[in-house]
Amino acid sequence: MKKVKEQKETRAKGNSQPSRQIPFSKSILPVFYSIAFAVLAWYFLYVRNADTMFFMQDRGWWNSTQLFWDSCMSLPGGLLSWTGAYLTQFFYYPALGCAMLILLWLVTFGLAKWSFKVADEWSFLLFIPLTALLCSDIQLGYWVYILKAVDYVFCHSLGLFAALLLSVPFWRYLPAKEQTQRWIALSWIPLVAALCYYPLGIYALLAAAIVTINNSKLKIKNDGLLQLFTFHFSLFALLLLTLWLVPLLETSGTTMMRPEQPWTYGFQFFELDTLRDRSFEAPFYIVFAAAFLFPFLGKLKAGKLLLSQSLMVVVGAGMFFCLAVRDFDDYNFHAELRMQRGVEECRWEDVLREAAKVKGPVTREMVMFRDIALINRGELCSKRYIYNNESIPPVTMSDSIHLRIADQAADLIYYNYGETIFAIRRAIERCMHYGFSYYTMRMLTQCAIVNGEADNARKYLRLLSRTTFQKKWADEMLRYVNDRKLMAENERFRMPLRLYNEGSELVGIDDKYVELTIMKKWMYSMTNDPVAQEVALGCAMMMRDRKCFWSQVQQHYNINPETPFPTHVQEAMLFEVYRMNMQGVNLSFVKFDERVVERYKAFEARLNQYLSQGMNEKQIGAALRPEFGDTYMWDYYALRQVQTN
Amino acid sequence: MNKAARYIGMGFSSFHCLLISFVMLLLQGCGEASIPSSYTQSDAEPDIWPDYRDVTIPPNIAPLNFMVDSVDDVVAELNIAGSKQTYGGKDNKVQIDEKEWHNMLSAAKGKSLSVSVYTKKDGKWLAYKPFAIHVAEEEVDPYVSYRVLPPSFVGYDELSIRQRNLTNFEETTIYNNRQISEGLEGQCINCHSYQNYGTKNMMFHMRFQHPGTMIVNDGELLFVNLKDESMISAAAYNSWHPSLPIIAFSTDHTMQSFHTRVLSKVEVMESASDLVIYDIKKNRVQTVLNDSAEFELFPSWSPDGKWLYYCSAHYEYENGYENTEELLQRYKSLQYNLYRLSFDASTMSFGEPELVYDAVSQDRSAVQPRVSQDGRYVLFAEGPWGLFHIWHTTADVKMLDLQTGRLVETRAMNSPLPESYPSFSSNDRWILFESRRDDGNYTRTYLAYFDKNGCVHKAFEVPAEDPEYFRLLLRSWSRPELMKEPVRISPKQFYEKALTEPIKVSK
Repeated sequence: MKKVKEQKETRAKGNSQPSRQIPFSKSILPVFYSIAFAVLAWYFLYVRNADTMFFMQDRGWWNSTQLFWDSCMSLPGGLLSWTGAYLTQFFYYPALGCAMLILLWLVTFGLAKWSFKVADEWSFLLFIPLTALLCSDIQLGYWVYILKAVDYVFCHSLGLFAALLLSVPFWRYLPAKEQTQRWIALSWIPLVAALCYYPLGIYALLAAAIVTINNSKLKIKNDGLLQLFTFHFSLFALLLLTLWLVPLLETSGTTMMRPEQPWTYGFQFFELDTLRDRSFEAPFYIVFAAAFLFPFLGKLKAGKLLLSQSLMVVVGAGMFFCLAVRDFDDYNFHAELRMQRGVEECRWEDVLREAAKVKGPVTREMVMFRDIALINRGELCSKRYIYNNESIPPVTMSDSIHLRIADQAADLIYYNYGETIFAIRRAIERCMHYGFSYYTMRMLTQCAIVNGEADNARKYLRLLSRTTFQKKWADEMLRYVNDRKLMAENERFRMPLRLYNEGSELVGIDDKYVELTIMKKWMYSMTNDPVAQEVALGCAMMMRDRKCFWSQVQQHYNINPETPFPTHVQEAMLFEVYRMNMQGVNLSFVKFDERVVERYKAFEARLNQYLSQGMNEKQIGAALRPEFGDTYMWDYYALRQVQTN
Repeated sequence: MNKAARYIGMGFSSFHCLLISFVMLLLQGCGEASIPSSYTQSDAEPDIWPDYRDVTIPPNIAPLNFMVDSVDDVVAELNIAGSKQTYGGKDNKVQIDEKEWHNMLSAAKGKSLSVSVYTKKDGKWLAYKPFAIHVAEEEVDPYVSYRVLPPSFVGYDELSIRQRNLTNFEETTIYNNRQISEGLEGQCINCHSYQNYGTKNMMFHMRFQHPGTMIVNDGELLFVNLKDESMISAAAYNSWHPSLPIIAFSTDHTMQSFHTRVLSKVEVMESASDLVIYDIKKNRVQTVLNDSAEFELFPSWSPDGKWLYYCSAHYEYENGYENTEELLQRYKSLQYNLYRLSFDASTMSFGEPELVYDAVSQDRSAVQPRVSQDGRYVLFAEGPWGLFHIWHTTADVKMLDLQTGRLVETRAMNSPLPESYPSFSSNDRWILFESRRDDGNYTRTYLAYFDKNGCVHKAFEVPAEDPEYFRLLLRSWSRPELMKEPVRISPKQFYEKALTEPIKVSK
C-alpha cells in the first residue's frame, strides 16, 4: 500500500514538475484540444454535411409507443438503439443535432481523461476514436439510403460513452481492503457484461474488456511472480469466458438473430446481400482498438511536452486527412438530398435553382426531381431542355452499393406523378428492407389521403404524432383526412391528386425501373385534362416514341386549339418532320413561333456543316452545345445514349 | 400473462424479465379505478376501440381490453348479475385484470356482461348507455397461429410464424426467418397447417434460402423437398387428412402484379395449378388433378376424410400454352368455383369432380373452402375474381349449408373491407378469419360466434393486452389457424433441421 502511494506521489511530482518550467498551465491543453476538435467536427458535420445529417434523421424512426420500446429492447443493444434513435431526431435542426453530438463526444473525452488519468499533454490521443466516430457519420454516401440502423448517428457514440462509464474503476474509491477491491474488480467483469448486454449489446462486452485491461495493471504488494501470473491468467480467462458465455446464454431463447450474431450484436456491419464493404467498418474497428488502449494512456509520462505536441500535430493532421478523404463530397449526392427535400416541401423554385447549378452530368433521380418541379409550374414542355439532361448511367455512383431510384426516392417520385399505389408498394418494400422512417410514414400518409384511405392515413398519423418533430405535420395532415375538399388548395396534394384522377388504370410491375415505368405509362395515357396531358406529351418526347408523340400532339391540339404549342413541342415537331423525315404529317395547323423556326433552321445548317466536315456524333454534340444546348433538337441528337433508371 | 413473458419468446433474458415484472408490479399497484361521483348521462353507447359492443365471446377468451379516443380518462364498470368490477381510471384505456375477468366469464356463461363506460374530457365526466358482451357456453380452441409480416408485396426480409394463447396474451414464436437469413437474400416461410387442430402433426414451407417443407409427423421432425419433375412447382397450399398421414397440396405458378388506381393494389394470380397428395410414411407424391385448362387450388379435407374440397378456375390460353402476359390482360376472367372429390382411403383413389358451389355464374370467385366438423357447412372466401381475396375490398366470408344448398347469412361477421381465410373451431361454434376492416391495409384476426341454430353473430378482433396494439402495429397477422395446443417443437429445432439436406420425394 505504501509503495503504491509512493508511486502515486512520484507520478504526481512528475506531473507537476514541468509546469514550473513552462510559462503556461498545461491544464489548458485539453481545453484547447477540445475546442479544436469541436471546430473540426462542426466543420465536417454541419458545414459540409448538414443536408446528410438531416436526411439521416429523416430516414430514422423513433416514437414514444410501448411497441417501439419493446421492439428495440427485444434485441441486444436495445437501450442504445432506442436512445440513439431518440437523439437522432434532433438533426431535424441539423445545427442542434450536431451540437448535441459534439457535446457528447466532448463529455466522453472528459470522462476518459478522468477515468484513465491521462496526462493533459497526451489527452489529444483520446480524440482518435472520437474522430473515427465523426468519420463514420460523414463517410456514408449512398449507404444512407439503405442503413437499417435508425440510431446510427448517435448509437455508437453513446455506446462508447456507456462502455467507458461502466469501466470506471469505482472499486478504487471504495473504503475496502485491497483484496476486497480486487474481488469487486474481478466480479465486475462478468457482472457488467451480464447486466448490460441487452441494453448495450457489444458495448457491454467492450466495457468488460476495458475493465479487464484496467485490472491487469493492478499490482498489489507482496504479490510474487506466480501470484501475478495467476491473477492475470484468471483475469483474462474470466474475460474470455464472459465474452463467450454472456451473449450465448442471454440470446439462447431468441429467434431474432442468426446463431453467429450474438457476439457482435450492436456492431455496425456494412452488408447488402453478398456485398460487404469493410472500409465503412474501419472507424468502428478504430473505436474498439483505441478503447482497449485507453487504460495504457495513463502510463504515458507527463512532462514530455515537445514530444507530445509534435505527435499531436502529426495525429491532428492525420485526423484531418482521414476526415477529408472519407467525407463523401460527391456533388450529385448532396444535390439529390437537397432536391428531394425541396420536392417533398414543394419548394419548386429551389429545386430548379439546384438543377440549374449542376455543372457536370446529373443523376436520373435529379432529372426526375427537376421534371416534377417543372410539372408543378406547368413548364415541362416549355423549359425542360433548358436544363442539363446529360446523365450518368444508372448504377454508377461513386461508391460500393450502386443503388437505383427504386431504393432511393421512388415513392416520392411515383407520388408526384399521381401513382400512389406504386408509391405505396415501393415505400412498404423499402420499410421491409431498410426499416420504417419518418419519411416513409409521411409518404404512406400522403398516398393514403390521396387514395381516400382515411383509416389507413389515421394509423400513420397516430404514429407520427408520437414523435418529437413530426407531430405538427401530423396535426396538419389530419385536416385533409377529415376534409378532402381542402386538398385542392394544398400544393402537396394539388398535382398528385390531379394526376391520380387523370391517370389510367393498369396492372403491371416496375421491375425496379421507376423512370421507365412512369414514362411508358404516361406516354400512352390519353386525357382531356390540359395539365395531365402536358405530362403525357412530355413523357412521349422524353421516350422519343414517334407514335405516342404525334398522338399526344393531336390530343394537345384537340384540348387547346387556340393556344400555341409549348416551345419544346414545336422544336420536336420540326425535328421529327424535317430531320427524322417523318412522313405524312401536315404541320399547317401549327402556329409556329418564328424564333423557334429560325433556331431550328440554324441548328439544321450547323449540323449539316459539321456532318460535312466529317465530325463524329460526340464532336458534333459538343460543338452544338453552346448554341443549341437548351433545345429539344440538341438533346435528341447529342444525348441518345442516356439510359433511364 | 405479463409483458415480461412475451419478451422470453423474443429472446429477452430471464433476468431482465424479472426486473421488468417487478417494476410493473409496483406500478400496477399504484391506483384503482372508481366510478365518478358526478357525470352527465348520454343516450348513446360509447365509441370504443376495438368494437366489442354486443359481441358474443367464448368463455375462455382473454380480457377484452378497449380504449376510447379523444378523452382524458375512461372508467368501465363490468356487471354480471349484480357483481361489479371497475377498471380504467389512468388514461383512455381500460385494461382488465385477467384473473377477475376469467372469474366473471365463468359466472357469465350463457349470459351477458353489462358494461357501463364513463369518460372524462376537459374535467367533465360523461356516462354512456351500457352495452352488453354476451358470453357463449362453448369455448374456442385456446391457441391461434399466424404469420407476422409487414404488408409488403415482394420482399420477405422479416417473416415469422407465431402462436398466441387466446385465453391470455402470451405470444411465442414458432419460427422466425431471421434465425437463418436477413436482407434481400431472405427466406420466405408460409402455409403453416395442422392435423385436426393438434400440433403433433403439422407443417410449413420454407422458400429460397434452405427451401423445403418442415413436417412434424407424430412429433418427429422431417424436412422434405416436395417437388418432383411431374409437379409444376414445389407443393404450396395444403390440407392434412384428418386421420391418415397424408397431406393434399396444390402446386402452382404464382404471379403478382400491381394496380395503378384500384385500391385493391395487388393482383395475385396462378398461371397454372394442379392438385397432389403426399403420403408422409411412403414419402410419395401422387397426382390428383392436373387438367391444364383447370386451375385447381386450396385443397381441404372434410373432417371425415372422405371428401377433398378444392376450388378451380376454368381457363384456356388462347395459344394453348401458359402465357402470363395474356393472363395479365384477362385476370378478371380468372374466377373459381368450389368442387369436391370423393376419396377412397383403401385404394388411395379419387372420384370425379363434383361442383359444390357455382360462384362463376354469379360473376364471383370462391376460394379457400373449409368444412365444419359435422360436415354440414362449408366456409369460404368470396371475391370478384382471383384467389387472394385479402386484397379485394369487396371480399367476404361466406358459408354454404350443404344440407339445404343455400348460403347462410354471414353479414354480421363481414365488413365493407376485405375478409378472407375463414375456418371453424374444433367444436364448430367459432369462425376464425382474417380481415382488413381496421384500416384497409393491415390484416387482423377476428372471431365470430356461430350458434347451434346456424346463426352467425357479430365478429370481434382477437383482444390485445394493450388495446392500441393493433392500431400501432405495422405488421399483418395473416393466415390464422386455430390449435388445441401450442407447437412443441422449438424454433431452434426447426432451424437446425432447416440446415440439413431435405429428403427428396419419390413418385
